[in-house]
Amino acid sequence: MNKLWIVTLETFWRQVKSWSFLTLILGPFIMFAITIGAGYLGYQSGGTSSEIAVISNQPQLRQNFIKENKDDVMKKVTDVKTAKKKMNDNSLAGYLLLNIDNQKVTAKYVGTSSLNSSLKTKVNSYLAKTQQQLNLANAQLSPAQIQSLAQQPSFKETVQKKTGTANTAKTISFWITIIMVYMILNTYTSITAQEIASEKGTKIMEIIFSSTTAVKYFLGKVFGVLLVILLQILIYLFGGWGAYIFAQNSDLTKDIVAQNQSLITSVLKNLLSINLVYLLLGVVIFTILAAFSGALVAKVEDAAKAAQPVIMLNLLAFFVTFPFQNNLDSIVVKILSYVPFFSSYFMPLRIINNDAGSMEIVISLVVLMASCVLLAWYIGKIYQGLMLQTDDSSFWKRFTRGLSYSK
Amino acid sequence: MLKIKDIRKNFGDLKALDDVSFDVDDGHILGLIGQNGAGKSTTFHSILNFLHYQGTITWNNQPITEDVFNQIGYLPEERSLMPKLTIEQQLIYLARLKGKTAKEIRPQIDIWLQKFAVKGTKKDKIKDLSKGNQQKVQLICTLIHHPKLIILDEPFSGLDPVNSDLLKKAIFEAKEQGAAIIFSSHDMENVEELCDSLVMLRNGQVVLKGTVRKVRQEFGRTRIFVTTDWTKEQLEQLPHVIKVEPQEEKRFVLRLDDETAGKEIFDELTHGQYIEEFNQQPPTLNEIFRLKAGAKNE
Repeated sequence: MNKLWIVTLETFWRQVKSWSFLTLILGPFIMFAITIGAGYLGYQSGGTSSEIAVISNQPQLRQNFIKENKDDVMKKVTDVKTAKKKMNDNSLAGYLLLNIDNQKVTAKYVGTSSLNSSLKTKVNSYLAKTQQQLNLANAQLSPAQIQSLAQQPSFKETVQKKTGTANTAKTISFWITIIMVYMILNTYTSITAQEIASEKGTKIMEIIFSSTTAVKYFLGKVFGVLLVILLQILIYLFGGWGAYIFAQNSDLTKDIVAQNQSLITSVLKNLLSINLVYLLLGVVIFTILAAFSGALVAKVEDAAKAAQPVIMLNLLAFFVTFPFQNNLDSIVVKILSYVPFFSSYFMPLRIINNDAGSMEIVISLVVLMASCVLLAWYIGKIYQGLMLQTDDSSFWKRFTRGLSYSK
Repeated sequence: MLKIKDIRKNFGDLKALDDVSFDVDDGHILGLIGQNGAGKSTTFHSILNFLHYQGTITWNNQPITEDVFNQIGYLPEERSLMPKLTIEQQLIYLARLKGKTAKEIRPQIDIWLQKFAVKGTKKDKIKDLSKGNQQKVQLICTLIHHPKLIILDEPFSGLDPVNSDLLKKAIFEAKEQGAAIIFSSHDMENVEELCDSLVMLRNGQVVLKGTVRKVRQEFGRTRIFVTTDWTKEQLEQLPHVIKVEPQEEKRFVLRLDDETAGKEIFDELTHGQYIEEFNQQPPTLNEIFRLKAGAKNE
């Protein structure tokens, strides 16, 4: 087998078999399961305790309220004694006493906590309507007067659903994209820099370089990490698809999915597009830089520090996106969408905003790919010198002495 | 055959190697000696193409490129393995990088572990091994693919006498199989015992070269071991004696500046009478090493 592939597969398997990779992969699924589970439990327990009983001397008054609010009322409770017992058992939130005394509609609520605002609004609305009906009946008005008093003000609200959904989809896609790119780049940057720094610290490199060339070894490392991220994306795609199917069919979520179908479709379209290529190339260029950063470390104890410069660059690119959340047409966004290290954030945002033409995307991709190749070529060239330079001197001395190995 | 011709390497103003030339034949062992910083590791790094140099280095008349790497076994001065791997994984990974397959290497692992008396099993992780056993595993990594050119940088450092003997045995086996072997050491006894020839470097220059016997003879028989009733002060008055080192009771080592003075000293000491010991010898490699290394500061 080609030595490049031996290094690639060794790097890949070592990462994939590690606990950190398992945690990385399972993390989102565990979060999803916890969220669904917590929602389900809340739904189950909340279904009984939020119901109230309605008690009244006037059966018609009670029936009318129950008819209008059947989801909130436990019909079978008709007296205070039973209601109090149920409240003690935590199976009833409270009871509402409805009465009409001296032509005045009254209501009194007794509960384990305040009546929730939604139900309070419904109770008030019911009381107002009933009182008005009673007042009109008592006033003995003519039909014309009744009609005149029944006039209501008018308020109309028009929402262009498609545009509204598209804007929401853009906002959601924006945040998912930048957080996903940031998290993935951060993770793989740390993994790569620490692995390279550890290898350098253990001085195994002299043995490796007596077996294969530094360029092959360096590229093998980068390809190995790339295979790991590809596997992670594949797992997320299949896992995400499975979660989507589950959400579509689960009693708990299918209504929400159906109500937001167009929004979900828009977000998925934004994510599962050329943006994935930007994510992959982003991982490649940041991995190359992380390998370089790791190669500059002198001791194995400094491995944790190795990733810091690249993590800071990633953090910078991440934060620079914030001011442009609502201003994706800005010239700064356009420029940064061509700049390597930044383009993995900014071009996907432009694509989500429908602001990037095909030619612009192609140019940006070519610049990013060319940068990856040039950076890999140059770092591969000086990699051996940097990796063999283990003097515990200053960063700059190590760097220049490392370069002198190649001259 | 490894052929090194006129190699030079500078690090800034420092001349790390200055016109270094020597050969190592197949089935021969060459010892590369010199003080710390003399240029031994830089010579090895040049052979392995770790750095750019001037001059030529060839293996069987071809430059040392990746094609030759599979024939090389290299043990670096600083011991290093991948701590999270098991012994088996480590040996297979490095052997695969030397062009062997896992299938070829797997059956040999137990044999090599036994040969070097490694305590533990092939499923043990490197990080769980003692320092000595890690060193043995690294030696196995160097030899398991049966290299034709073996480069060992300070292979005996850190090994106890028993394990040194195991390594010597493995080196002799490789020699018998026709490998060209080059190693560096500060222990001149090992050099004398193992090497067919030696090269001594000082400040990046070759200051001694040849077979061990020839090198010692070049220095003349300038050492006399005597057992006599004479005092140290009396001995110091003898002609051409530059130093007197007392050893056990009545026994001294005289150092001469001219080996031909031996007969005259013998006559002075004996005057035709019995003397318990008079033994004129060339200097040991250790003495030659000290002498040559000391010249640096002159």
